[in-house]
Amino acid sequence: MIDLVTDLTPICALGGTVARIETFGGLTITEHSDLGLASLALRKGQSAPQPFGLTLPDVGQAVSKDSYGAFWTGRDQWMIEGQGQGAIDFAAAVRAEAPGVTVTEQTDGFTAFEIASAQGAAPIEALMRKLVNIDPKALGAGQTTRTGLEHMTVFLIRRADDRLVVIGMRTLAGSLWHALAVAARRLED
Amino acid sequence: MTRLTGGLVDRSKPLNFTFNGKSFKGFEGDTLASALLANGVQLMGRSFKYHRPRGVFAAGSEEPNAMVELRTGARQEPNTRATVTELFDGLTARSQNHMGPLERDLLAVNDVLSPFFAAGFYYKTFMWPKAFWEKLYEPAIRKAAGLGALSMLPDPDDYDKGFLHCDLLVVGGGAAGLSAALTAGRAGAEVVLADEDFALGGRLLMESDLLDEAEATAWIAAVKAELESLPNVRIMTRTTVFGVYDHGIFGAVERVSDHLPTPGDNVRQTLWRITAKRTVLAAGATERHIPFADNDRPGVMLAGAMRAYANRWAASPVKQDSDAIAIFTNGDDGHRTAMDLMAKGAKVLGVIDARADAKAFGDYELFAGATVTGTKGRLGLSAIEITRGGQSQWHSVGALGVAGGWNPNVHLSSHHRGRPVWDERLLAFVPSPDGPKGLIPAGAAAGKGGTAEALQDGMAAAIRALAELEITAAEIPLPKAENASAEQAAFWHVPGAKRAWVDFQNDVTVKDIALAHKENMKPVEHLKRWTTLGMATDQGKTSNISALAVMAELTGKSIPETGTTIFRPPYTGVSLSVLGGGDTGPLFRPRRLTPTHYWAEAQGAEFVEVGQWMRAQYFPQKGETTWRETVDREVLAVRSGVGLCDVTTLGKVDVQGADAGEFLNRIYSNMMGTLKVGKVRYGLMLREDGHAYDDGTCARLGEDHYVVTTTTANAGLVYRQMEFAHQCLWPELDVQLISTTDAWAQIAVAGPKSRELLSRIVDEFDMSNEAFPFMGCAELTICGGLRARLFRISFSGELAYEVAVPARFGQALMERLMEKGADLGVTPYGTEALGVLRIEKGHAAGAELNGQTTAQMLGLGKMVSAKKDSIGAVMSRREGLAADTRRLVGFKSMEPQTQAMAGSHLFTEGAAQTMDTDQGWLTSSCYSPHLESYIALGFLENGDTRLGEVLVAANPLEGQAVKVEVVSAHFVDPEGGRLRD
Repeated sequence: MIDLVTDLTPICALGGTVARIETFGGLTITEHSDLGLASLALRKGQSAPQPFGLTLPDVGQAVSKDSYGAFWTGRDQWMIEGQGQGAIDFAAAVRAEAPGVTVTEQTDGFTAFEIASAQGAAPIEALMRKLVNIDPKALGAGQTTRTGLEHMTVFLIRRADDRLVVIGMRTLAGSLWHALAVAARRLED
Repeated sequence: MTRLTGGLVDRSKPLNFTFNGKSFKGFEGDTLASALLANGVQLMGRSFKYHRPRGVFAAGSEEPNAMVELRTGARQEPNTRATVTELFDGLTARSQNHMGPLERDLLAVNDVLSPFFAAGFYYKTFMWPKAFWEKLYEPAIRKAAGLGALSMLPDPDDYDKGFLHCDLLVVGGGAAGLSAALTAGRAGAEVVLADEDFALGGRLLMESDLLDEAEATAWIAAVKAELESLPNVRIMTRTTVFGVYDHGIFGAVERVSDHLPTPGDNVRQTLWRITAKRTVLAAGATERHIPFADNDRPGVMLAGAMRAYANRWAASPVKQDSDAIAIFTNGDDGHRTAMDLMAKGAKVLGVIDARADAKAFGDYELFAGATVTGTKGRLGLSAIEITRGGQSQWHSVGALGVAGGWNPNVHLSSHHRGRPVWDERLLAFVPSPDGPKGLIPAGAAAGKGGTAEALQDGMAAAIRALAELEITAAEIPLPKAENASAEQAAFWHVPGAKRAWVDFQNDVTVKDIALAHKENMKPVEHLKRWTTLGMATDQGKTSNISALAVMAELTGKSIPETGTTIFRPPYTGVSLSVLGGGDTGPLFRPRRLTPTHYWAEAQGAEFVEVGQWMRAQYFPQKGETTWRETVDREVLAVRSGVGLCDVTTLGKVDVQGADAGEFLNRIYSNMMGTLKVGKVRYGLMLREDGHAYDDGTCARLGEDHYVVTTTTANAGLVYRQMEFAHQCLWPELDVQLISTTDAWAQIAVAGPKSRELLSRIVDEFDMSNEAFPFMGCAELTICGGLRARLFRISFSGELAYEVAVPARFGQALMERLMEKGADLGVTPYGTEALGVLRIEKGHAAGAELNGQTTAQMLGLGKMVSAKKDSIGAVMSRREGLAADTRRLVGFKSMEPQTQAMAGSHLFTEGAAQTMDTDQGWLTSSCYSPHLESYIALGFLENGDTRLGEVLVAANPLEGQAVKVEVVSAHFVDPEGGRLRD
């Protein structure tokens, strides 16, 4: 792993030096600042590699294994996730696992908000109904989609019935958090 | 008090409210209209044009008359229908559209002047003198017209939105809707049942019909309880499905808190977008009236509404119990009202039935073959004139119910341009078979309004809808019910010389329709616009068909030949606040923040919105009193020392693949594939039509790895265009694209001391001019190991670099550069100084790349390579474009302290300023602290050959004409020596 050795102090997408976490009734939203992300795209004629032992998933699917994951983003394209890999050169790590394919660093391109429910699937689905025009029943555990949320483009990954991650553009982190927090707070009422 | 017995109001829960400042009492379950009627209040408002006294006419959302201003202060809402306003304790309402008290409206003078306000009077009157329209006529008309008043205060409430997905959406919770929802619910389908009322039951609540030999409320309660117990059914009362939109999405507004004094912590309304695989339209029907002379007095109302008030709200329509009630009908339905009123103990004068062969249904006087030909009563009905066989007689009554038949509520079925179909048996339009896909009308909305047939039809519609989704639904046991007799005659209005109202809300009479006909406004569309019929807030729900019938009679055609009415969303009024979705002010739309945003905020920067971005515009320092002072300082600091600007907002597209170079050759007008690794080249993109599209730099980081930068404004568009080209135009190329705009924080380090500053943060990187010359790029590490990208490019014309690091380190890098450059006078600068610097250098930006300019005009004609093809190249050579002689040049104000504004047009001194003499225009303008003069860029005919000429930059809007000298666009360092040093 190639660590980013520097004496500069990074900040989180929401501007803090530590990641934001807030609970609204049964829902907890966490700014996931140490999620490494890199896009992986196949070149002409290449077959899908298995970085970190992951079988790269089909349309609309997400997979995970140990602290790594992958979700489908387009034809012959995936985003590779590395939990706790936000502080390293994750693209280099992916490239080492899948030589020859096109890999682009995306850790800093996005912000990931993990939403966990302490009360099963219902609060997650109620939150989705306030935010995205996606049928919660059609986005079950292990499924992913890209959609609009308050005029922002986001990836949704249903990690489990009671866990949803919303990945949006880093520069829109504040607006995205606002949208999620307002909706979660209203469900609390 | 004229409260009757029974009804669905809760007498144990009395509620206080005021109307026009007077206190009244009602009960939970009342609407404002029912409570007022129960208090003997008939007069509720004034009409729109003639200010005629008006009372409640309907009992639902179709109400044309009883409009009030509800609540006070910032929550005051005009044009609120009293018929759908749930009573709450402390409710305050005022009647609207009158000058002075409601009872003595001074503007009632309009009624006396009514001959002057005939159909189309706006178009015929106030024509002369022309100048009077804007200043006198229009303001006067606007003041006199209109209904309620806005508070002019910001809306204090919160609004929400949401999305629902279901197998079956049931619109309407009456007999048909409930049986449909229950059928589908039991079958396990995902069901959304929406009704605009606060209680389920629809018309069942308003009728005295029995279900299974018991009151209908018992069956409704049982169905409701079962639906509530089903997890696959969502019941949404107080929810109006107002429109059908593309892709099967229905718009619905849930009035979450409108029935409460204030929303408290809750939202006021929620806008739902419902994606339904199938829909049962069980929206019921709306009764129509029969126009006759002076039919608009308070006390005259729809007979079905009268029945509803009596049965559901136990409210009598008369001012006092001793007043008699009459019914005027063309069919059997009017008789039901008489029977129900009598059952409630009300005094019924009798039924006037236009049919000669009509029969009485009970013990009341029947005036068969008779019509109502006149009314009396100043602020409420006191007598009606009944005419039979040419003999007329006046009868004292306190209220008159009018029954003219029922119109199916076909509205939603028309929203995709489905034309309703005339049903001669029903004498009404029924929903079009080519309505929105998957929408099945049922019950009264489909012309099957009998209770038994509605129940049956709702169930059948649900079974059919689910079968199409391959869900098997079983029949449900339906309660025993009957279909009331619904015979009627095609009797549309009572002819006469006096005014007979058709559209109450917009004051349109039979005479107005006749006049429109006389003036050849015969097509229904013309009729509507000439008379304004059906164009008030009630959208003519009670008047459209009657108007068609009157027009048909005048033209001698049948009703379907005369025209149909088509309906557009929304079904009822929708507040702009709920459409807006909730967030207001700075939260109204998403904001993109640069990686150094919080740092800039701490420095006291002023920000400017650039698309979604918030960019630092300038950084005021202590003692600076104007923005210009600040910007001048920032510009001079860059020219003399070193400045820092966050340029993260420029788009960055990562392009990789074996064919990346070839791909870029086709995207850019100039050659890009020949770029050497470690080099940057300026690139120009054209639109398909040959005009200039976007510009920026392209860096080659590796053999098959490029980074394309775009302008801030076009970042998304260019990326989209590249994806289109990749996926659709040349799928055979081996190219992979992805945006990295947000991933990298990019800071411009510009000025003669930029190299010195950067040398202090790079890790063992040779910054010398020889090792890293102009237009070089490199991947390196800085600040002790942080991976970074360095580009030697310049927007300002000075020695300059852009350094990029992972976005999270952007702020720390900015702080580090500020710290390390303190002794060099390092200065942060914003977009304003950035703009001045690029104008001084003559670099094009958004104002020059505005979609109307070409490469040649920009002086970049040679960049359209003839050695290869690229998007827009061929079209750029077409005659009209290639022959354009306008060229980008600079302009200097002859009086240095006078600004020629961007947008000014260029003329020869002394020439007339017309389109014919127009020679070009200014695109960008600023004060150059470097030249101590206002300067500008612009396009001038043959501009490149006219240096030294003096022209006039005219801004006729401001009455401004500034003399400017044509100069080179490169005000600073035209040879470009500085950026290569």
